[in-house]
Amino acid sequence: MNVKAMSAVIKRSTKRRRPPILDGIAVLGLSLLAASAVFPVLFMAFNAFRTQADWDASKLGFPTTLSPVAFERAWTGANIPTYFWNSVTVVSGTVVLSLFLAAPASYAFAKIQWPGRSVAYLFTLSWMAIPSLLLIVPIYIEMVQLHLIDNKLSVILVYSALNLSFNVYLLTTFFRSLPNEVLESARIDRASVHRILWSIVLPMSRSAIATLVVFNALWAWNEFVFALILLQSDGSLTLTVGVLQLQGRFGTDYPALMAGLLITAVPMIGVYIFFQRYIVQAITAGAVK
Amino acid sequence: MSLANSALRRSEAKWGFLYAAPAMAFIIAFVGYPLGSLVYHSFTKWDGLSEPKWIGLHNFGTLLSDPVFRNALINNCLFALTVPLQVTVPLALAYLIHRQLPGWRWFRTMFFLPAILSTVVVGLIASLVLQLKGPLNEVLSAVGLQSLTHDWLASSKTSIPMIILVVFWANFGYNVLIYLGGMSVIDPSMREAALIDGARNWTILTRIYAPNLRRVMELVLVTSTVTAFAYMFTYVYTITNGGPGYSTYTTEFYAYSQAFASQNLGYASAVGLALMLLLSAIGFIQIRLLTRDER
Repeated sequence: MNVKAMSAVIKRSTKRRRPPILDGIAVLGLSLLAASAVFPVLFMAFNAFRTQADWDASKLGFPTTLSPVAFERAWTGANIPTYFWNSVTVVSGTVVLSLFLAAPASYAFAKIQWPGRSVAYLFTLSWMAIPSLLLIVPIYIEMVQLHLIDNKLSVILVYSALNLSFNVYLLTTFFRSLPNEVLESARIDRASVHRILWSIVLPMSRSAIATLVVFNALWAWNEFVFALILLQSDGSLTLTVGVLQLQGRFGTDYPALMAGLLITAVPMIGVYIFFQRYIVQAITAGAVK
Repeated sequence: MSLANSALRRSEAKWGFLYAAPAMAFIIAFVGYPLGSLVYHSFTKWDGLSEPKWIGLHNFGTLLSDPVFRNALINNCLFALTVPLQVTVPLALAYLIHRQLPGWRWFRTMFFLPAILSTVVVGLIASLVLQLKGPLNEVLSAVGLQSLTHDWLASSKTSIPMIILVVFWANFGYNVLIYLGGMSVIDPSMREAALIDGARNWTILTRIYAPNLRRVMELVLVTSTVTAFAYMFTYVYTITNGGPGYSTYTTEFYAYSQAFASQNLGYASAVGLALMLLLSAIGFIQIRLLTRDER
């Protein structure tokens, strides 16, 4: 193609590609949507730095105070330190247990030949089809039978089980993409199955493991329904349930409620900002193959 | 070598099973057993204290003529009505970001923020925004639309559309991300070639991208439908708490209230099982999509 024809093509395509008015409208629309997406965070943050009187006058307004009294009231008035610590415990327990269950299983499904493997794999994945919220009643019954009601271990077990199918799917897909040559040469060197998993496969899978950790941490931190039914006394509540204690039946301290909600939301917003890549990987795992 | 190798393979095969076993046992213990327990208890009458009493299909008979259950199921269907929008609107939004319109990185990051927040936080803020003296009415008054101000949560006629809006808002960024993932593996030269041929972006989206993203669209369709039927609990709990009366109950909220407010654990199980049967068909489509390569 000569230069003249090429430039004609380029001119035509750029002319076609950016009708500025339509693009302007699209950008405006996207901006409004983005603003709505940020609104709740700003709503919480601004109102946590306003007084109850400000709130009564109007719910919308810029901060009127720099003092963190609302946070202090939330922190001391509603047992938030306990809830926060409980959330951290539950998230850590869930992530560790999930990893220890999913990694060996995924390795067995991806890289070890054994009879019944594909049936076992489909069996493990098939539980993804069960909408977990429909199991609240029988899981409650099971935890009563196990005497684990009001024990943080109950939610750790439930969270790990409910996401296990997805975790296995995520890791198995990744492990399959690892080159067989490396594993084969380790086998020839008579490395045991365990050594291959723990000192070759897992170190090669750091990004997949980070994806699993971030995704499960986010999920467990934000989970509400199972925490609501399985944890009951004030000392065992996680943040998502505990923060509801700030909403009084008669008269609510709204700035403190906003501060409490913000304390619930901010850790995961931080995780999102720093580990966005892994969250995107977890979400697109089913979309990209 | 080959003999040693086959012995090695045999010992590996043993470990294959032993490695998979804990995960499978765990799923059976904490998902499989509850599922069996749900089925069993749905045939019983049980207050959670005395022994469960086997009553056969009685619960399901009650279910068929229970107006609250029917109303709750209708509400789930109302939530599901917007599924086509939940599939298509994020697709168009993802395409605009994929085209790298000015600010696309910011849009991509910010759209996902609502999905990062716990549904409790989203629901609580929505309930405050929709109060009679809440920000929504404040804004409407401020721009001279007093006539449109409303006690949004006072009637299911307005609160259900509002919950639909909140759920759509909370999930659209998630779907945009899924579509962007799918779009990133479409050969960009297809789009460039179409542009050179003078195709409009709308045509490219509907004729090139949408057909190539069929599988992803199916995935979004299934997850959005399941959400509408089985994951509305937290929104209902925080925004209307089912009220006024039973008007904004959804099926899984009804199961919850039957179990934990009325101590009818048998009947609550029947409600859950009925919904699960309805959804299992949809769920298995999801598994088929994810494991298409297995077969």
